[in-house]
Amino acid sequence: MLNLLKEVIKVGEATTKYPLESLDLAPGFRGKPVYNPELCLACAACTTVCPPNALAMDTDTEHGVRTWSLFYGRCIFCGRCEEVCPTGAITLSPDFELAAFNKNDLVVRADFKLLECRVCNRYFAPGKELTYVLALLEQAGLPGPEVAQRRSLLEVCPECKRKCNVESIKRVGVGNPVEVKR
Amino acid sequence: MVPHEISPKIGQHYVDALRARFGSAILNEDWRTSDQVAVTVELNSLPDVVENLYYQQGGWLSSVIGNDERSLNGNFALYYILSMEDTVKSWVMVKALVPPHQPEFPSVTAKIPAAVWYERDVRDLFGLNPIGIPDNRRLTLPDDWPADVHPLRKDAMDYRYRPEPTTDEETFEFINVEGEGIVEVPLGPLHVTSDEPGHFRLYVDGETIMDADYRLFFVHRGMEKLAENRMDYNQIPFLADRICGICGYAHSVAYSTSVEAALGLEVPERAKYIRTILLETERLHSHLLNLGLACHFVGFDTGFMQFFRVREKTMKMAEILTGARKTYGMNLVGGIRRDILKEERQQCLKFIAELRVEVNTLLDILVHTPNLVERTANVGALEPTVARDFSPVGPTVRGSGFTRDTRADHAYCAYGLVPWSVISKTGNDVLSRTLIRAEEWYESAAIVERCLDNMPDGPIMIEGFDYKPHQFALGYVEAPRGEDIHFTMTGDNQKVFRWRPRASSFNNWPGVRYMLRGNLISNAPLIVASIDPCYSCTERVTIIDIRKKKAQVVAYKELERYCRERKHSPLK
Repeated sequence: MLNLLKEVIKVGEATTKYPLESLDLAPGFRGKPVYNPELCLACAACTTVCPPNALAMDTDTEHGVRTWSLFYGRCIFCGRCEEVCPTGAITLSPDFELAAFNKNDLVVRADFKLLECRVCNRYFAPGKELTYVLALLEQAGLPGPEVAQRRSLLEVCPECKRKCNVESIKRVGVGNPVEVKR
Repeated sequence: MVPHEISPKIGQHYVDALRARFGSAILNEDWRTSDQVAVTVELNSLPDVVENLYYQQGGWLSSVIGNDERSLNGNFALYYILSMEDTVKSWVMVKALVPPHQPEFPSVTAKIPAAVWYERDVRDLFGLNPIGIPDNRRLTLPDDWPADVHPLRKDAMDYRYRPEPTTDEETFEFINVEGEGIVEVPLGPLHVTSDEPGHFRLYVDGETIMDADYRLFFVHRGMEKLAENRMDYNQIPFLADRICGICGYAHSVAYSTSVEAALGLEVPERAKYIRTILLETERLHSHLLNLGLACHFVGFDTGFMQFFRVREKTMKMAEILTGARKTYGMNLVGGIRRDILKEERQQCLKFIAELRVEVNTLLDILVHTPNLVERTANVGALEPTVARDFSPVGPTVRGSGFTRDTRADHAYCAYGLVPWSVISKTGNDVLSRTLIRAEEWYESAAIVERCLDNMPDGPIMIEGFDYKPHQFALGYVEAPRGEDIHFTMTGDNQKVFRWRPRASSFNNWPGVRYMLRGNLISNAPLIVASIDPCYSCTERVTIIDIRKKKAQVVAYKELERYCRERKHSPLK
């Protein structure tokens, strides 16, 4: 009993003054993910890995808009989004105070314009993604005219590409000797 | 099935002994890893084969898995997982196929009591009927669930579907103990140590508990269904984390290692050390929590506060190592996501040195509190014979004289690479189980230190492996409360075909009935707390007086107060 009293006196106050004082967090603490739409390509890598579906991607092909959204109410702060993002558009911050009066205050949204296919005029991919790919090619040392040629290729939706391929294969006639016109 | 080229085959002699004894009833043997073998047997010889492994060859029942393999081989499958702990330690999975046109199988429970919860679980979730099971009540599904919907059948339902309740009545039949002088005490609808649901019914004669019955699973979260439908294999570690708020990391390691074993992946050595460090960090905080609760239940609340104050340091350690106060979100299949840097290592070593001094002081105060020994010695006896029949795990079984510890028996991660010892006691009582936790705390601290000191350099994650479908294996971890075991079968499209996590409390619960018998009702919360159950707070207790034939409901708070003060019995 005496030892216990001694211990209690020795310890004194064990609690801190939080929230009047800020908490001492370890470096690398995983808190609220912070999003930078400028860097985002709307590639959907983060929404595919997110375990609790806090991140979502909604594509409206009629109006050509893709909406990226993050709901903090579902987030588990695992940081998988940060891990897979190719451009560093989403990073975890040490902020853990997420309480809000309105549920909608916990949602972050960003809209991205989709690109129209050159052939069928339907929307298919975010424009920023294409710009990013072309910039990468340019940086890899591809000459300017070739980059422009690639652009016209990449502005075709996958479905049309497939159709074009089938057409050209038909023309060549796979398995048959090429007919020589006289 | 593709023949696996696996060598050495540890535990081959167990299978040879089965072949010698049962001959043509043993249909196939399929080595999944060097110490995990699946033996397919004829359905009718299932109870005999499992009994042979359990009682004659030194096996313990670790899990039973039902699986809807109709899309693979036209049948349902059952896997009885036995941890073989004779001189050679290995795993034997006894597999039997159940034809869909006759969905029933001979019950193993009549021969091995440990199988009872598992067979009830398989009956509820797959609709496979165990013929001859002594206790045929529902386990997992609620009373108001339709009789013909078996959620884990692949064609049963969408994972978001919740059928209309079929009844408003509580139809669960508690066992009926009658006799002169027995009173029924309901403990719960829902727990006695932490604040989770479970309904207890105690049958008392005066103040002595004659028998007990309980109903749990009020908070079944349908995680297995969710995982196989909605998640891919690398998202499940984060779901597995959330199985438990105390030992979640153990589950995510168990899941990840089961997939790694199924795919034949070898995790880098550094990742194994880091997993070990985090697992033991979790044990450090969990054991301090349980010691604190032990203080609370014997009415020593100052001790409770002090243990929780010291425990805070282990939480801080987790924060330094993982970026969160819980050791969550660290695993992926193939390794670990975050390295331990030099600075973090040094901070942890410093914390452990400080913790050791503080825990020394507190334990010294605790064991010299006369109340503790008086209240816990010879209370809640788990007799070794009962323990042998029910396959309990963790401090619960080690308090009854067995040296079962998955870390030693089936060394995973880095447990085979650093020295440490298994703690076991022969008191069979609450005191033994409490002291085991205290001594294990020091072992854990030493393991963390040794791992931090001996961690090799190198990568912490393997990448670029092929995810092959329909491979299965076990993953196992000794969580603070005992062994957690996960069975995973990989599936198509980056998903799992079947994931069956089994938490340690699942194996400890069925034996609690025997631990309660013969004890005073004021000790009931103490006994339940001693297995550190993972459901856990029983709000009310129904106490049934078999002499007066009178049932009485006691609020949990009242029972807890009685446990702590032992004055003014609520029965009078």
